[in-house]
Amino acid sequence: MDTGSKAVEEKVGLDPLPACLANGDPRAPRELVERHHAELYRYALTMLGNSSVAEDAVQEAFERAFVALGRYPGERIRALALRAWLYRIILNVVRNLVRGRSRELLVAEAPDKGFRPVSDLGDEVREAWLDVLAALERLPDRQRVAVTLRYIQDLPYSEIADITGTPLNTVKTLTRRGVERLRILLIDPA
Amino acid sequence: MNERFHEAQDELLTGLLRTIVARLPVGEEPEWLVERVLSSVVDRFFTVDSPIGRMYVGVGLRGVRFVQRGGSPEDFARSYRERFKRLLVEGTDTPTRNLTEKVATALAGKRVEVSLDLSETTPFQRRVLEVVKSIPRGEVRPYSWVAREVGSPKASRAVGTALANNPVPLLVPCHRVVKNDGRVGNYAFGAGEKARLLKLEGVSLDEIVRTPYIAACTTKIVCYATCRNVGRIHPENRRPFRSVREALIAGYRSCRVCRPVVT
Repeated sequence: MDTGSKAVEEKVGLDPLPACLANGDPRAPRELVERHHAELYRYALTMLGNSSVAEDAVQEAFERAFVALGRYPGERIRALALRAWLYRIILNVVRNLVRGRSRELLVAEAPDKGFRPVSDLGDEVREAWLDVLAALERLPDRQRVAVTLRYIQDLPYSEIADITGTPLNTVKTLTRRGVERLRILLIDPA
Repeated sequence: MNERFHEAQDELLTGLLRTIVARLPVGEEPEWLVERVLSSVVDRFFTVDSPIGRMYVGVGLRGVRFVQRGGSPEDFARSYRERFKRLLVEGTDTPTRNLTEKVATALAGKRVEVSLDLSETTPFQRRVLEVVKSIPRGEVRPYSWVAREVGSPKASRAVGTALANNPVPLLVPCHRVVKNDGRVGNYAFGAGEKARLLKLEGVSLDEIVRTPYIAACTTKIVCYATCRNVGRIHPENRRPFRSVREALIAGYRSCRVCRPVVT
């Protein structure tokens, strides 16, 4: 995944996809889903810890996105930075799910069942991944989102600031504190 | 513990996170996952040949919503989005391919049921389209007949407007509705195309203008000239009429199949 250059492309308006979507190119919707489905799913899975809940979250995010794409004027679609826009949507969907259902319920469902995308990993990585998920689960929300976007999704700070609507330095602080806390949880439990 | 030690540990941790994430398979999206998402968030289109040229057909989950002639796929997708607020992808899935075949069969004149989604039309327009859908190939009806059938006998003009905005031409055969005097009337693709389509379907508009109604002197029943019952009247028993009223005065009654409007 060439995250860096994609982000740059979007920033300077070189990404041709928004114009294709606005112009009615019939290949554009599939391209949008193919391009972003995996990363949105990974974000949802990290935050929700359950693969079927995560799949539903991604589905809902795309539904919201396409409802908007059906209604926005062409100019507005052309001006979209698609990746950041989709992240804002999935962040909202996930946040609502976490708020709406009790957290305990999600955690109760979480144990390693159904981790489809990681099921073919070696035991060692799988264990480490589950530890990370469990530790992330215990971070305050804003730190958890920041750490997930920075280290699981590999987004640059500037894009995280844009997606979450948080000042750049706050994002850096949240990420640093989140990592500090993760260290305590993962390496220094004592 | 000192700060440097913590920093080193944080680096170790972020390194660990990156290693784990790097080993999570992201790669290719399974096709079926993408299809599953797309199936509920966008509509599909396909093209099909018709007597008036290549037609684009837009399909939602509940059936055909939009039929338009010519242009590029982009043009069609744009007018579809304006009208239905949905994006389109080319339908290459099996259900869409089956539907393509069905629509092609219907346009070739066979009687097959194609499910239509007319949810974006007004209740009046929907009633009009339902009635017009029932006009068989080879027959025509006047606007006043459609108006009477939908329960608004004075609304011939509104019927005209409803048909002018028919979202699914050919599938709802609005070309089979003609002026009350048998002249061809308007058509979204031009009056010439309408006359040509009707001629292909075996309707002679010239004859209808001359004799809009035909009665059988044996059964004393009067029909629209294109009613299927007319074909069963022996030529020497046929009686032409200019109006239904004339026929009624002469002692005939209206056909129960084509139900001509008394004017």
